[in-house]
Amino acid sequence: MFEDVYKSYRPGAPVLRGMNLVIERGEFVFVTGASGSGKSTLLRMLYRAETVDQGRILFMGRDVARLTSESVPFLRRNLGVVFQDFKLVKPWSVYENVAITLEVLGLPSRLIRARVGEALDRVGLQGRGEDPAGVLSGGEQQRVAIARALVGEPALLLADEPTGNLDPQLALDILGLFEEINDSGTTVFFATHDRSLLDVRPRRLIVLDEGKAVDVRGGVSPPFRAEYASLPH
Amino acid sequence: MIFGPIGTTMRARRGMLREWRLQALSVFSLAVAFVCLGAALLVVSNLNALEERWAHAGRASIYLKDTATQDDVEAFRGALAKVPGVTQVKYVSSGQARAEFGAEEVPVHPELAALPVEAFPASIEIEVRPDLPDVELQAIVAKVHQLPAVDDVETYRAWTDRLASLVRGGVAASMLLALVVLAAVLAVVGSTIRLALQRRSTEVEVLRLVGATDAFVKGPFLIEGSAQGAMGAIGALGLLAALFAIVRMRMDGELWSLIGVEPSFLPWQMALSMVVLGALLGAVAALLGLRKLVAV
Repeated sequence: MFEDVYKSYRPGAPVLRGMNLVIERGEFVFVTGASGSGKSTLLRMLYRAETVDQGRILFMGRDVARLTSESVPFLRRNLGVVFQDFKLVKPWSVYENVAITLEVLGLPSRLIRARVGEALDRVGLQGRGEDPAGVLSGGEQQRVAIARALVGEPALLLADEPTGNLDPQLALDILGLFEEINDSGTTVFFATHDRSLLDVRPRRLIVLDEGKAVDVRGGVSPPFRAEYASLPH
Repeated sequence: MIFGPIGTTMRARRGMLREWRLQALSVFSLAVAFVCLGAALLVVSNLNALEERWAHAGRASIYLKDTATQDDVEAFRGALAKVPGVTQVKYVSSGQARAEFGAEEVPVHPELAALPVEAFPASIEIEVRPDLPDVELQAIVAKVHQLPAVDDVETYRAWTDRLASLVRGGVAASMLLALVVLAAVLAVVGSTIRLALQRRSTEVEVLRLVGATDAFVKGPFLIEGSAQGAMGAIGALGLLAALFAIVRMRMDGELWSLIGVEPSFLPWQMALSMVVLGALLGAVAALLGLRKLVAV
């Protein structure tokens, strides 16, 4: 839940100005908006890579904006984040890239092996654990990043333009993967400016415009298309 | 369990193996710095042993006046033999002293053969217990000096004092070198860690994103810095040991018997201290290098 959130990087040019937004548990929400509209900022504030200037961001009953720096790692253990540039450690193997999420939690290695195996199965990379991450294709690397994000069973999965570096068909595959994850109960917050993805899925859509969130409940599916079209892009 | 000391060590090992060229260069640079310190310590420890040996040489030469009679000498010898701590008393006449000098020096310096026997005063050589405190030896010397038949007393303390001064100079030089080593370790390990951080920035960023604590992120880098420092010191000790063995093989054994001390390598406590110092300095340098750890 975002309550009256303000954020600016330069004086007099706020990115977010009094933004309010409520996301329910288990929802799949698209966030879109023009470049510089604050999509990434919104996500970065959620995993506390950015701090808010004013307002509150409530997640699991706590105000993310007020967390001490010592508490931030524990916040992030309840979140999964997927990026456009994958952010994989290239010299590490696929297994190592995924397992790090659980190593941080201090789980026994036997349990880590089992859960990483399950996560790789879910993203369609079974048997690829030993491969160096650097030699995988773009689509495969993004699958590894998704496996890393979901292996810790986070309450919220954040995706910052996760299909930005992929061709349209791969982008749809990856979107399908996020939807499968969402079907199992994980809340997904998916930032994209890819209109084709928004067109094919009738999901709740948040459009960031002039620092505020405009909620289009049915996404760009036919009944709401006019509402979406009236927004500036 | 991957988190904890074993997991951290495993991750440090993984990082070091992946960056082995960088690590090797760093260890080599540190070894060079530690060789300087080790060499200075080696010299100081041997000079110190020599000083200890000479300080407890336990002997003195009592030079007699020309006017001393045979009765004076006999009475003197008898009295000295009864002094607690004195283990041996030996009279050396002028003629004997001249003969000993001639046997040792004249073959090398023939011009000294013309020295008259009067140039060599008769003396009484005494030996005392090696553990006799210096204060007690000085007390004996002071009493002997007051006797009318005694011209001078030589305890070789001047040599010991000179050696002590040399040792003090060596210790000061070692301290200075320790500071140089300190600066070298901080610079080399700090730079290596910063470079490693730069090369592994994605790794650090990923660790932050998945909820790693500061300790989890920094732990392996601290171990890497510590290992570099320790390995640099161990490398230096190995190099010094090899150099020491070569020098010792080429030196004349008679030289050592003449000065009364066999040269020895650094005591194990000192060698261990060097390794521990290297590890500690490496960890501190790594910690300083991690100050600008990428914040995500």
